[in-house]
Amino acid sequence: MSVLFVDQKMAQEDGSPVTSSAMYFPGLGSPYPWLSPGIGSPYPWLRELKSEERGLCLIQLLQGCAHHVASGSIEQANVWLEQISQLASAGGDTMQRIAAYFTEALADRMLKGLPGLYKALNSTKLSSIAEEIHIKRLFFDLCPFLKLSYVITNQAIVEAMEGEKMVHIIDLHSFEPAQWINLIQTLNARPEGPPHLRITGIHEHKEVLEQMAARLTEEAEKHDIPFQFNAIVSKLENLDVESLRVKTGEALAVCSVLQLHSLLATDDDMTRRKSPLATNNLQKVMHINKRTLGEWLEKDPISAYCLSPDSSLSPLSLGASPKMGSFLTALWGLSPKLMVITEQESNHNGHTLMDRIIEALHYYAALFDCLESTVSRASMERQKVEKMLFGEEIKNIISCEGTDRKERHEKLEKWILRLELSGFGRVQLSYHGRMQAKKMLRDYGYDGYEIKEDNGCLVICWHDRPLFSVSAWRFRRYE
Amino acid sequence: MGDLDLDNSSSLVGSTASGEATFSEPPAKKKRNLPGMPDPEAEVIALSPKTLMATNRFVCEICNKGFQRDQNLQLHRRGHNLPWKLRQRTTTEVRKRVYVCPETSCVHHNPTRALGDLTGIKKHFCRKHGEKKWKCERCSKKYAVQSDWKAHMKTCGTREYKCDCGTLFSRRDSFITHRAFCDALAEESAKAQTLGSSQLANPNPSPNAGKAVVVASPPPPPLTPSNNVVSPALSIQSSEFPENPVGLSPPPPATTCLTSTTTAISTTATTTTSTGNCSNTSTSVFASIFAPSTASQTSAAANSSYSNIVSSSAIPSASAMEPTSLSLSTSLYLSNNGSTLFPTADQQDHRQYVASPQAPAMSATALLQKAAQMGAAATSGSFLRGFGLATSSSPPQAQDSTTSLQWSNNSHSHQHKRDGSGGAAATVAAGLGASSALLTDLMMGPPVPFGVIISP
Repeated sequence: MSVLFVDQKMAQEDGSPVTSSAMYFPGLGSPYPWLSPGIGSPYPWLRELKSEERGLCLIQLLQGCAHHVASGSIEQANVWLEQISQLASAGGDTMQRIAAYFTEALADRMLKGLPGLYKALNSTKLSSIAEEIHIKRLFFDLCPFLKLSYVITNQAIVEAMEGEKMVHIIDLHSFEPAQWINLIQTLNARPEGPPHLRITGIHEHKEVLEQMAARLTEEAEKHDIPFQFNAIVSKLENLDVESLRVKTGEALAVCSVLQLHSLLATDDDMTRRKSPLATNNLQKVMHINKRTLGEWLEKDPISAYCLSPDSSLSPLSLGASPKMGSFLTALWGLSPKLMVITEQESNHNGHTLMDRIIEALHYYAALFDCLESTVSRASMERQKVEKMLFGEEIKNIISCEGTDRKERHEKLEKWILRLELSGFGRVQLSYHGRMQAKKMLRDYGYDGYEIKEDNGCLVICWHDRPLFSVSAWRFRRYE
Repeated sequence: MGDLDLDNSSSLVGSTASGEATFSEPPAKKKRNLPGMPDPEAEVIALSPKTLMATNRFVCEICNKGFQRDQNLQLHRRGHNLPWKLRQRTTTEVRKRVYVCPETSCVHHNPTRALGDLTGIKKHFCRKHGEKKWKCERCSKKYAVQSDWKAHMKTCGTREYKCDCGTLFSRRDSFITHRAFCDALAEESAKAQTLGSSQLANPNPSPNAGKAVVVASPPPPPLTPSNNVVSPALSIQSSEFPENPVGLSPPPPATTCLTSTTTAISTTATTTTSTGNCSNTSTSVFASIFAPSTASQTSAAANSSYSNIVSSSAIPSASAMEPTSLSLSTSLYLSNNGSTLFPTADQQDHRQYVASPQAPAMSATALLQKAAQMGAAATSGSFLRGFGLATSSSPPQAQDSTTSLQWSNNSHSHQHKRDGSGGAAATVAAGLGASSALLTDLMMGPPVPFGVIISP
């Protein structure tokens, strides 16, 4: 029997969500029979939902569930998760997939409240380096974002290094030889001849660097370019800048692709304690229950905005992140001629969980859409990227806190502020870089992507939604 | 008008203001002659290159101090307290003066083709017979005269038409003519045809394909004119491209641009419309236009560049992840095709991933947008209020959303027009209303007796 679409009146009413008794299965004792897991496969109306309705339903359900997770009510959250699980699916349409990964992240977060259980479930995970690398390669193949970043970065490097004889490039996450092979070839074709090129690659795993070294040296030998690859096996946060061995007289370029944000990970509780004003406000927010919060926000919207420190762009809003500060200072100390930074263009570093969930929902919706339009649903590669790359990022954003939460994406304005405060000056990314990027998109048939220019930086968008930002910097002397 | 007396004109080298008067009839009003066709009654002056370029042409005969302007010289001469007789100028009449170019091979060396303006002759001499010392940093054009350079800097980069092969045009007509015969373009459209890129079913209108090509961007902040010519800084293309700059332009121009030229250029103009799908038809037109010889040349060129790519992709890689190994081919400078990061093999992989078009579903971004709108309007403010979430109608710029769900103001949402049918709306609304009602109940907490709903 259909219970949903009988009563049209209900939908047309504005204002109060009056429901009719047709909501419930008559004759059953519990008011929420459709909620209790005990009942067989009883949710016919859910199955009948078409893709769009299901999607909208999922959004609502996610919203509700997130709220319960944020306020810590596990029982309620459980009920909602059960609901969502009926509709979500990692193999379904975009919204279903997103819901699947978001609920996994929410569940993960909740489970951390039972640490014994959590640790037991997570203790036998197998992690394979080869698999990780494979996933990153898949992302490189399926989506053009990394390729675009490399093209733009290389163009900026070539332009900055015009006339330089000794070029040293520091790659903060060196895993894709394609990027530097392209640069080698480009530099080889310079009218003044190729420079003496040194590339220092940093990565956690030795194997990756070994492979890079082999490929790049081979390529350089082919073109007879004086080349040297230095491998540094290290996590970025533990990087010893001295080990980079930057020599005087060489022109230094630093390349960071989706790496910097992990340095923002910090013990948030500690930093919050250090700024009492912010803490008080936040505590106020936390303690107000949901009803009065709504009323309070309605009455006083302005203070709500002043609440969250990351709603303003003052230097205070950057938040203390000691690792980032010292890292940037160390880089600045090397006086790089160029530093190109690619980052995700979204704010996933909000203080409150709900902020992060909402932002992540919009951001990953665009990323999932992007995959949906280019890769078939049946593709295992796509699912792998969705699960092991995006899914893990989502899990990190939602379920981790403090130093564990590495995926602290921030928007370009914040990065600009941060870098300027650390002593870097902006370098405008040229028209030609953008044209190269557009040409690449065209040549390889990537449709729907756009490259926008924002104040000298480039933003890679999926239709209108910005996804990645690329900005270029240089060492700036204080005057 | 009397005839110009050729014999009387002097071609003295090394003298300053020597000339020979032909007829000294000061013109009643200042009239301009056509350049290169001087007033026959004018006084012809020939200056040596050195004098021509000299900045201080007016020299005081008493102390030999040089001045750039005659007025300055006169002022200076007053200071010498000359006796009255010498104070006057040699002749009181103002004679029109024309100048000949000292370069003997030049057409303006002939007095009949003298130029009427001293500054003009100077510029001419610099332009034609001088060294080009001023260089545009953006486009590597060189100029001998500083004012030419300045004038160019104003327009360089402002309004440009750029062909895919990289050639720049400031004039639309020359751009269009070029495009009709551009080899690179034929190559590209041939390539597009073989790849069948337009076959990839993609309902999204491609913003790149076939839009207008005119790039109107404000010129960079005015570069301070400096004597530092051929500056090593900045723009790469000034020194880097031995041949045509790499094709860097947006795709084929809009229909309007081309249909107007079809008459002029007969059928060579491409008939690309603004959707990418038509690239197939246009390539066939294009291919047929080009004579077999040129077609084979272009295809050969295309082949050769691809063979580069393919051969380079054969480089063995030690990686275990062989299927996805990327060997790169030609880069920025090497080919007209521009930097290509990936071999064609990769392109096939990329296309393999796209299976048969799946059922067109609304994108997640659009769903979120819709949910925001519906959430704000349909179900109720009270519903969301119950969640503790405000629905402000004029939300601030949400670079981050505060604790309130600013659904309606996600400035990055993409409006999808695909699903707009009114028929679906009712059922959707019903579904939404139902689910929201369900959710309201969930939110309300303790179970309620059958049939009774509490609304907040």
